[in-house]
Amino acid sequence: MADATANDAPPGEDRTQTKRSWKARFNQSDTLKGFSLLSPTLFVLIIGIIIPFGILITISLWTAVGFGFDTSLTLNNYQTAAEQPLYGALLSRSLMVSGWATVATVVLSYPMAYYVAFHVHRNKMMWIVLMTLPFWTSYLLRVFAWKVVLGYEGVINSALMGLGLIEAPLEFLLYSTDAVIITLAHAWAAFAILPMYVSLEKIDKSLLEAATDLGDGPVARFLRITLPLSMPGIISACLLIFIPTTGDYITPALLGGPDGLMIGNLIQLQFGPVNNWPMGATLAIILMLTIAAIALVFLVLTKLVKDRLT
Amino acid sequence: MDVLDQLGAVKEGKMSRRAFTRSLMAAGVGMATVPLSKMAHASDGDQATYFTWGGYDIPELFGEYQTKNGALPNFAIFGASEEALTKMRGGFVVDVSHPCNQAVPRWAATGLFQSVDVSRLAHGADIIPELTQLEGNQDGDNLWMVPFDWGSTSITYRTDLVELDGEESWDMLWDERYSGRLGSLGAGADAWWVGAIKAGISFDNIDSDEAFEKIAEIMRAQRPHIRVYTDDTTSLEQALASGELVAAMTWNSSAVTLAAEGVPVKFANPKEGALTWVCGLMIHKDAPNVDRAYDVIDSLLSVESGKFMVNDYGYGHSNKNTFDHFDEETLVGLGLSKNPTDILGSGHFQKPQTQEWESKMNALFEQIKAGF
Repeated sequence: MADATANDAPPGEDRTQTKRSWKARFNQSDTLKGFSLLSPTLFVLIIGIIIPFGILITISLWTAVGFGFDTSLTLNNYQTAAEQPLYGALLSRSLMVSGWATVATVVLSYPMAYYVAFHVHRNKMMWIVLMTLPFWTSYLLRVFAWKVVLGYEGVINSALMGLGLIEAPLEFLLYSTDAVIITLAHAWAAFAILPMYVSLEKIDKSLLEAATDLGDGPVARFLRITLPLSMPGIISACLLIFIPTTGDYITPALLGGPDGLMIGNLIQLQFGPVNNWPMGATLAIILMLTIAAIALVFLVLTKLVKDRLT
Repeated sequence: MDVLDQLGAVKEGKMSRRAFTRSLMAAGVGMATVPLSKMAHASDGDQATYFTWGGYDIPELFGEYQTKNGALPNFAIFGASEEALTKMRGGFVVDVSHPCNQAVPRWAATGLFQSVDVSRLAHGADIIPELTQLEGNQDGDNLWMVPFDWGSTSITYRTDLVELDGEESWDMLWDERYSGRLGSLGAGADAWWVGAIKAGISFDNIDSDEAFEKIAEIMRAQRPHIRVYTDDTTSLEQALASGELVAAMTWNSSAVTLAAEGVPVKFANPKEGALTWVCGLMIHKDAPNVDRAYDVIDSLLSVESGKFMVNDYGYGHSNKNTFDHFDEETLVGLGLSKNPTDILGSGHFQKPQTQEWESKMNALFEQIKAGF
């Protein structure tokens, strides 16, 4: 940048001259080139993330008064959120639910990713497409489908009753935390399968052959080679599922019942019937910070795993 | 010019990078505005948008509108009217919306609505005057809400599964014998007021601190027995039909719908009195199709729509001529009367409350539903 200013206008030139040369300088500068390269990204970042986030933070510092706001800045909402047991309880319930949903999804998806990576030799692409097929339909429809499956007269209950295994329908299936976990585990499966498939696919098969030659059985081979090498995929799958499910509100709203509510429902309620946008914004920020903290832990984990592998 | 040609031209130095970027930008802006231009195009021959509860988005209510405008109006659906208000305050513009009487003063105070000119309505003269004159609907010369449907909130219960303990009463929704098999509407606009009836609080005093405490206590006591709180009436109806629920707080229509399908249900007439309501239509101040907004209202006020409302939903209608098509016996069977004041007066009629009250009530009720 210093080079660009080399033929600077001498002092004492009239104003238009100085202006032009400043313009000329700027046009040639690396700064401009840098900005012009960055600008679309920067633009999207500002419009899509920085401004909305700024608005959210500002609103969270206001106070709701009737339909309007008292715009003097205060941390009262954060204090209320910290003091009232409701918010903490729902936040921890959300973390618990999405924690279990993450575990369930990863455990159920791993075999599928494994199968496609190691045992499918032709038409791998078709398999991947088949696995994403359920995700071509709306999220809401999938949640409703689970409502039908888990319902009082639903697929599971009718099947079990038809087989004579139970006499009365199981009531815990629907309108419970379990229903939310089951649905989330299915609804987000593609986001677990794909990253795990990618990292499994990348594993050098000769390592497995070498292990066989050295006398390892299938279990030892899996535990000593496949699993550790697929860890980056597992961790990113966990992140990809944990982050969006913590804030989910459709699934708990439709399947959760009174005991299955999550923090996302509370945020929606603050913006809706309760009409307290500042509190909603506060809760959204608290949720974001919590998730960010957890994501950080995952990132550190990824780094540790990578360091160990290389 | 094709993009590849352009790239070639840039490479050969025939086209300046700036010209290239400009055409690229033009293409980009064009792409990004395609949906906008399409919308602008579509809107000139567009139908009115009616923002309403699920179940009112059906052709049966829009015969008159369809004859006149050749198509059905556009529908936007909300689950609870406060949700609708939030959406409109956020900038969602519709032509006609469908709140209930107790919300009208608050809705009007947002400045989002225009007063309705009854003389522009073909059926304006047929509206039952008592419904128009309800507290809140009018302020000075302004009529904010044109009344359309009225009815009550009570308990729909399975006559084969519930053993009545004496008279029909709101106690049925607090009955420990049926714990886990009771359902409730999820919005405070119904449930909280029912709590007030059960707690024996007069609606004139529902805004006092003491009332809040008493109702909260009642609602907390009910919560462990409730299997589901929802404003999705279809879910409640299905649960009642399958026997998953034995009783639930519903509007008239659920009982009428279920009975029509042969499910043994009854819409209770609780000894403490039912919760009664009147809902209607408001026009958005920026309504893009004001003329068609009036067509929507007219269509809903027509006798044809009224017959459907009474017959299929069991709701009262605001057009006085509707009732000439029903005999007294049918109306009594549906819990209705030609004179709406009989019904509204026999139950507990909601009174408009301030926005502060509404927010406080909703916040507290949501906490209770979440188990606190």
